[in-house]
Amino acid sequence: MEVRSLTKSFGKHVAVNDLSFSIEKGHCVALLGANGAGKTTTLEMLSGLQQPTNGSVSFGDVHKGDYREYIGYLPQHPVFFPWMNGMEYLVFMGELSGLSKTKASTRANELLERLGIADAGKRKVGGYSGGMKQRLGIAQALIHEPKLLMLDEPVSALDPVGRREILELMKLLKETTTILFSTHILHDAEEVCDDVIMIHKGKLAITGSVSELRRKHQEDVIIISAEANLGAWARSIEDWNTVSKVKSTHNTVEIYVKNAAEARRQLLAEIAERQLPITSFTVAQTSLEDLFMEVVGK
Amino acid sequence: MKTWLVLFRKEWLEMIRNYKVIWIPLAFVLFGLLQPITSYYMPEILKNAGNLPNGAVIKIPIPLSGEVLAQTLGQYNQMGILVLVLAFMGIIASERKSGMTKAILVKPVGYSSYITAKWTSAVLLSAGAIFLSMAASWYYTVLLIGDFPFMNVVKGASIFFIWILFLITLTVFFSSFLKSSGLVAAFTLLLSILVTLLTSLLGKWMEWSPYQLTNAAATLFTAGRIEGPFLLPLITTVILTVLLLSLAATRKSNS
Repeated sequence: MEVRSLTKSFGKHVAVNDLSFSIEKGHCVALLGANGAGKTTTLEMLSGLQQPTNGSVSFGDVHKGDYREYIGYLPQHPVFFPWMNGMEYLVFMGELSGLSKTKASTRANELLERLGIADAGKRKVGGYSGGMKQRLGIAQALIHEPKLLMLDEPVSALDPVGRREILELMKLLKETTTILFSTHILHDAEEVCDDVIMIHKGKLAITGSVSELRRKHQEDVIIISAEANLGAWARSIEDWNTVSKVKSTHNTVEIYVKNAAEARRQLLAEIAERQLPITSFTVAQTSLEDLFMEVVGK
Repeated sequence: MKTWLVLFRKEWLEMIRNYKVIWIPLAFVLFGLLQPITSYYMPEILKNAGNLPNGAVIKIPIPLSGEVLAQTLGQYNQMGILVLVLAFMGIIASERKSGMTKAILVKPVGYSSYITAKWTSAVLLSAGAIFLSMAASWYYTVLLIGDFPFMNVVKGASIFFIWILFLITLTVFFSSFLKSSGLVAAFTLLLSILVTLLTSLLGKWMEWSPYQLTNAAATLFTAGRIEGPFLLPLITTVILTVLLLSLAATRKSNS
């Protein structure tokens, strides 16, 4: 899928601004952004629910036109007819996607089984729990074996158990389908995805594969806490050539370093020499979370 | 076409599950029966109502069969329209509000099939209700009051139904772009009352009005043939209906 300078404005408010990216077949891509960054609007434009103000989306060989039969979409708050049971709903959605009735019911049975809600198939959707609704929502998105599965905040509304289950499910699904999902929780993206697209205020902030971003943006950091205020000492080490940046707050100093091993040796020697009253000394790495905060914060 | 049938089937399944298929025709049959029965028993009812001095003589001529049937149409125009508008006000609005419309439109479904499947099922159900009710009214009228040719009932009911068709299309039209079902009902009812009032008050200027179809059907019952404007309102009504429906079916809202 290729997205070129996608723009959507509501009156004066520009929700999505000149967004371009591409999604490779077989990849799992996370669309990251804070609340209100334009994730849902982007997904709705990609799924054909909203017309972009500007820009184009092409999908495989389809450049201009309807590619809805190749995608499965899970809205942020999946809704169902409360008077239908799970099975009927899946068959209905399957038939709308162009399957025959028999094909739709075989698929529906398969999916209910695979998503672990086989017993609930005969129950009215009105009585489902949040996690079950989410599963049914994913099932309806998968019913016609789409080439691309789009999930809008699939885990945000779930409790920790439900969320773990859905994430595990997504790991399974990404073996067979291309997935694009939006989230504001970076940890989830890091866990299941190959690629990350970060957007901020409707604009593309950073895009790349998780490992590439890690390599590029990840830094080693040494965190030192002490019983006394280390502010003055922190400023004195700022111009060391192994140190790239120092952040100090009260009794804790975060030192971003270029070479962890070298810096650790020097810092430990320095601490011993000055007899700093340290309580902890941690060598760590910045996470994508920090990168995200940096992007969102700027 | 195949998805249209799937959507159409879903509408009927929904109307069965929420009992609309039962209570709408039932309500209409009730309105239909009420007119011949009250007309026939009116003297008895008044006598038993008490409050009359002894010796008071009540003479109310029992109306002719045709008049009773024409009055039945009046019942539909009051209670019947209310029932239909309230039953179908949420037909699209409620699904849009819940987000169901999005869930359906993300599948390869044309917006126009989504709207027309709903419209067709609403039209068919109300047609069934009105014809059933008209037949019941005719049966009791013949039983209690006097003979009346059945073919004329069918013709009259068909003419009257075109007016109802217009009102249902109006409901679907409002429902397709308003989010609140209450507003849909309010607008549709207000507009229908306005058309009715203006047609009665400014008869000369309103010969094109869809409401004239009710008058045409009524005269068919009372006089045995259509008196007053018929072709002109028929044409405007059909044009308005097609226009409203196509507006509803092409207008794809963003929210």
